[in-house]
Amino acid sequence: MSSPLLALRQIVKNYGGVRALRGVDFDLRAGEVHALLGENGAGKSTLIKIVTGAHAPDGGTISLAGQPVADLTPASARALGIACIYQQPALFPDLTVAENLALRLDATSAHARVDWTARRARATALLDRIGAAIAPDTEVCTLSMPEQQLVEIACALGSGARIVIMDEPTASLTQKEQHLLYAVVRDLRKNGVGVIYISHRLEEISALADRVTVLRDGQSVGTHAVGDINEAGLIRLMVGREVAQIYPAAESAPGAPVLSLRGVGCTASGVHDVSFDVRAGEIFGLGGLVGAGRTELARILFGLTPADSGQITLAGETLLLRSPQDAVAHGIAYVPEDRRRHGVVLELPIAQNITMAVHRRLFPTTWLRFGAERALALDYIRDLAVKCAGPDAPGGSLSGGNQQKIALARWLATRPKLLILDEPTQGVDIGAKSEIHKIIRRLAQEGLAVILISSDLPEVIGMGDRIGVMAHGTLRTILPGGSDPHTVMAAALGTAA
Amino acid sequence: MSTAAHAPASFNRYRRDWRALLTRHEMLLLYVLIAEWLFFYFAGTSTNRRGVIVGFGTWDRQFDILRHSCEIGLLALALTPVIITAGIDLSVGSLLGLCAILFGKLWHDAGLSIPVAIGLTLGIGALAGALNAVLITALRLPPLIVTLGTYSLFRGLAEAITRGSITYTDFPETFLFIGQERWLGLPTQAWIFLLVALAMGLLLHRTTYGRAFRTIGLAPEGARYAGLPVERRLALVYVLAGLIAAIAAIIYTARLGQAKADAGTGYELFAITAVVLGGTSIFGGTGTIVGTLLGVAAIAVLKNGLACLPVVMRLNAAEEMSGLFTGALLLAALTASVLPKILSNLRPRRHSSTQSIPPLSP
Repeated sequence: MSSPLLALRQIVKNYGGVRALRGVDFDLRAGEVHALLGENGAGKSTLIKIVTGAHAPDGGTISLAGQPVADLTPASARALGIACIYQQPALFPDLTVAENLALRLDATSAHARVDWTARRARATALLDRIGAAIAPDTEVCTLSMPEQQLVEIACALGSGARIVIMDEPTASLTQKEQHLLYAVVRDLRKNGVGVIYISHRLEEISALADRVTVLRDGQSVGTHAVGDINEAGLIRLMVGREVAQIYPAAESAPGAPVLSLRGVGCTASGVHDVSFDVRAGEIFGLGGLVGAGRTELARILFGLTPADSGQITLAGETLLLRSPQDAVAHGIAYVPEDRRRHGVVLELPIAQNITMAVHRRLFPTTWLRFGAERALALDYIRDLAVKCAGPDAPGGSLSGGNQQKIALARWLATRPKLLILDEPTQGVDIGAKSEIHKIIRRLAQEGLAVILISSDLPEVIGMGDRIGVMAHGTLRTILPGGSDPHTVMAAALGTAA
Repeated sequence: MSTAAHAPASFNRYRRDWRALLTRHEMLLLYVLIAEWLFFYFAGTSTNRRGVIVGFGTWDRQFDILRHSCEIGLLALALTPVIITAGIDLSVGSLLGLCAILFGKLWHDAGLSIPVAIGLTLGIGALAGALNAVLITALRLPPLIVTLGTYSLFRGLAEAITRGSITYTDFPETFLFIGQERWLGLPTQAWIFLLVALAMGLLLHRTTYGRAFRTIGLAPEGARYAGLPVERRLALVYVLAGLIAAIAAIIYTARLGQAKADAGTGYELFAITAVVLGGTSIFGGTGTIVGTLLGVAAIAVLKNGLACLPVVMRLNAAEEMSGLFTGALLLAALTASVLPKILSNLRPRRHSSTQSIPPLSP
């Protein structure tokens, strides 16, 4: 038998102190659909970035058809026949399908004449090959998401790709469109193309893939023929052994409910029928896959995208949250997911970042009181053990974990009733991570109601006193803290395991 | 207290570095201003046939510079917070014209007393600013386009009201005092200008409003996520710009003793130049009132000084020369402000590119 189309050996990749990949082996044969499975943050995206040449590995070898390839770049990867179809198609929306295809496929010089007839003919041929009923003169912005994905696939075909990577291609597709896509994937396979297929839908994997590799914590934990393993087995591989890390445990029982949601929904952000309570002193873990609607729910509670149905009650008062100011006035604090864009203003000094949400209390006359500001900032710098050059150092001079502490300090300063933390330990090194866990537990212990959104399954299970699992915009189930990770994962995937 | 004991030794040093960084641009501009002034003092001053000192180096000339820079200076003060929020207001010059006309009309045609007419004009200015504010904050239209629209709208209104021909004149002496006389040693309007400068300085540097403006300029989304009232603060900035443009209109009318529809044409561009020259970033977030004042002074001295140079007088090209040198000064200042950053960026990049070249490849 010939050597595989693509062979990755002992691939290592570090981002700063975070080990994203720690020695991954992966094979892809010609005419095979190889599914790649893993939790959020298991290393799938990193692996894809390495195969497409976007990032260089820190160790290991990549071979294509038996030939070792050094320093893969996006351009050389494309030239070698590696194509990637992302969840969000990266086409030029104002150009036609034929023009988009030509931009990707033609290496024309600036002065070459455009042969419109040939362009159109090729576009038609490529689209026909994948059975897509799209006219080459259609502007891309008028196409639906799946149609755009089809154009991407046509592009991959046209470039003579031998390896096609599909990153959750069915995430936004309807049932019918999914089947169309499956047919295209099978057709690619028949033509000897190797497909790396990333998906969270287990039923899809068993229907479509030949083999499946599961990644966990940056390592491959097994490659199996799809016929040899069932869904429960896959979940077991994804989740792995019991939660290894030690999380600070609750020392007292939670008090009365602080927040109550009844049938809360927002059409614009796709959240519907969410009902749960959070008690004082309780950490309510909110788990689920990326896109399940957790951040969207947080944005509703913080007034960024107001709810249009249901009832939100905080400390016995029914709230109408139309803006973040409303939320802040009622004692709701939200530490956002995108720390660098929303959580901390990188150019401003730490002190100003910390006092940003308490202007009214700290400066009641609107006149700034620099001494009081500095004192408050120093209090939190000390309390949360922020490693910094001082309260006047810009927020951007801090490491990720310390920036997160600043974002947290800003909201603690508001003395909230409800604290919503969205991925508080994402991109934070291990040491700072456990520090942040301790802080969160301490805050709950002091009587704060905490909603902890995290894609890190052990974190949600380890920290949460109860765990709400979201999928497809709604709360699927509420599980007790310390639940079996398999149960949580099964709920997040929407299967009954 | 235990604060000092806990804080690392480097806490205070960092603070000083940060301050130095902020003041560097303003200091640079101050040197330029002094150099400019000294140059014109020596090159632009002469003694005429009767033995009287004329040209740049006279007190009269200095007061004249101050008097003439008040209107553009006021507009620059109005634009500083606008630009700090990463916005722009192109309509202030046109609004000056509209307010001047309406002031004249209120006094002359409606027969109102001067103080009442002034009060109403200021209200109209604020209202016109509110129009910009609503379009920008409620409809979320880009400030550049909105104020480009009102730039034409306000000027067009002024011209429609006067049918392009009416000029209001014959204002009472008491009113002209504001624009043509001196009070406590300085041109009267200079006091108004300094008062507005002080108020804006306090607003921008000593209140939570200024904090909000800066935060919005640096990170509009971040400001929203921090619970700052982004829309209300942005609205305030544009309303204030309208109000200050109305004050400038009153002073302009008092200085010239007449109100015409073309009052303040092109002033918005001079004002923006002064603000940017003063170190306010056009991308928002940074800028000071002191910087803006220095920027206004640098442009005013340049413009007046050039007119005093014998060469320029011989060529009769003061206007052209001042445009040319103002532009050169602005570009030089901008280049100087980004140069350190570019230089420091070049070094590490060159470093990393040599690192990333792999040792071998077949």
